[in-house]
Amino acid sequence: MTAIELRGVTKEFADVTAVRGLDLTVEEGEVYGFLGPNGAGKSTTIDMVLDLVRPTEGTVRVLDQDATADGVSIRQRTGVLPDGFAVYDRLTGRQHVEFAIRSKEADDDPDALLDRVELLGDADRKAGGYSKGMRQRLALAMALAGDPDLIILDEPSSGLDPAGAKEMREIVRAEADRGATVFFSSHILEQVEAVCDRVGILREGELVAEDSVEGLREAVGGEETLEIAIDGGDADGANDAAVDAVRDLDGVSRVDRDGDALVVSCADGAKTRVIGALEDAGVAVADFHTREASLEDLFLAYTEGDAPGADGGDPDERAGEEPEEVNR
Amino acid sequence: MSLPAIAEKDFQDTVRSRGMLILVALFSLLVAVFAYVFAPPGEQFATEFLLSAAVGPFLVTTLVPLVGVVVGYNAVSGERESGSLKLLLSLPHSRADVVFGKVVGRGAALSLAVFSGFLLPALVLLALSQLGYIEAFNIGSYLGYTVFAAVLGVVFVAIAVGCSAAATTQRQALIGGVAIYVLFVMLWGAITGQFLGAAADAGLINPLPVSQQQISVFLQVANPITGVELLSNAFLSGQLFSGEAVNQQISAVSMLVFWTIAPPLAGLWKFDADDL
Repeated sequence: MTAIELRGVTKEFADVTAVRGLDLTVEEGEVYGFLGPNGAGKSTTIDMVLDLVRPTEGTVRVLDQDATADGVSIRQRTGVLPDGFAVYDRLTGRQHVEFAIRSKEADDDPDALLDRVELLGDADRKAGGYSKGMRQRLALAMALAGDPDLIILDEPSSGLDPAGAKEMREIVRAEADRGATVFFSSHILEQVEAVCDRVGILREGELVAEDSVEGLREAVGGEETLEIAIDGGDADGANDAAVDAVRDLDGVSRVDRDGDALVVSCADGAKTRVIGALEDAGVAVADFHTREASLEDLFLAYTEGDAPGADGGDPDERAGEEPEEVNR
Repeated sequence: MSLPAIAEKDFQDTVRSRGMLILVALFSLLVAVFAYVFAPPGEQFATEFLLSAAVGPFLVTTLVPLVGVVVGYNAVSGERESGSLKLLLSLPHSRADVVFGKVVGRGAALSLAVFSGFLLPALVLLALSQLGYIEAFNIGSYLGYTVFAAVLGVVFVAIAVGCSAAATTQRQALIGGVAIYVLFVMLWGAITGQFLGAAADAGLINPLPVSQQQISVFLQVANPITGVELLSNAFLSGQLFSGEAVNQQISAVSMLVFWTIAPPLAGLWKFDADDL
């Protein structure tokens, strides 16, 4: 059984195509991280899964049911932490959770749910006085009501402090261990690395990569970043020539010049050749060090489009084309 | 069927608003003022006269519709704009449950406000009549009349909620709410009169098996305010569903049912197709 299945889904709004031709499958029982920069179409995709937004083309099935036709029955078995939601200011935290339990026809103890998100002490306060993080935890408690088969978390860590984010991860893990499928979106890769079985990266409405975090790291593959400090005494002409020489080397994918520093992205084995080429060109290397591609680099590589498998295309073609913010 | 859950939540949410308290106080105050002004000491106190001549035209037919619109106009659009609708629709509710749950919840909240507002002066009047300061206070007529006032409020809540469901923004909903009030309270007679006159001039009335006079009366009664006035006056004079005007009364009741159901349905039709 699949928890979420999108086939050829396109969503066009009046002014922008938010999602185009998206195929996405989330298997039952897995923890799936849905990544992408702001405006990539993550929220629109989740809104279609929740039937808040209807696709222009394609089919959306959730828990083997049609998202639009069977929305109520799907949400009976789904817990959702929406993005950009508001609480009912005049109702208390406990009243919110009681409402969720009643709506799902579940028999949870409201206090147990509130305790789980560490909100029990504030349960009788009106939610209008809650901080952003407390509202986030309140919505999580509502999402957990009724032991849902599928949990959808849209940017769950926003507004949470590091401790809160850690608790969130522990809850995600616990729910996954119980057998629930967890689908959550984030624009921060570090958050998903610790908990996700699989990660999908969305860019401009299209899925550009889908793998485990390790798999993605391998795919970007052995790339290293070299930071080289060069002697600034040389005439500019010589340095420029050296930069060109390095850029022409096999295994070098990118060279950026920042004053007296060069930042070179290159394959694992190309390090020595880079230094050699610089010295051959008469540039004195004052200092250099390497750093391993961080998750952030990896994410940027996919979302900015110069990683292998990131549907090719000339990066210049997209220069200056900021992904549009899609907010509905 | 999650309509009761939404209705109950919305009721709780609405009765906790500060506006509700002000509303109850305002009703009480105005009813008390009318009772004082229209019940000169020493003369016979007529409950029915107080209600049909003072409370009815000055309080119920103008203020109650206004309150109904104010309570209803932001029911759906307000949640849509703030984002709490996302929380609501992440739970297993259909959009129809949301719209009709709001009608029930807010209708109940407004009824509670009307009852409490009328009840406080009623207790005072009852005490005065027990003590012999005024002639017998007819508590039955008074409470019965309160039901009619609450019905009128609920009808306007339903119309306003329908408008709110159809609106994309709070601003649209507000404009719609103002339009509803102006239409029914101020312009109904003029607009339906113009409409009927134009239809008659175009020769559309003559072929019909009813007279222009009958249509005109029907159109008047089709306004929920006139409808409730008609019914409540019949009630106060002991002629509810009896006597000569029984057909008119049935028309009025049907139109009240129509106005309670049709606007939310029309709003739902738009709301259900929208991307939220």
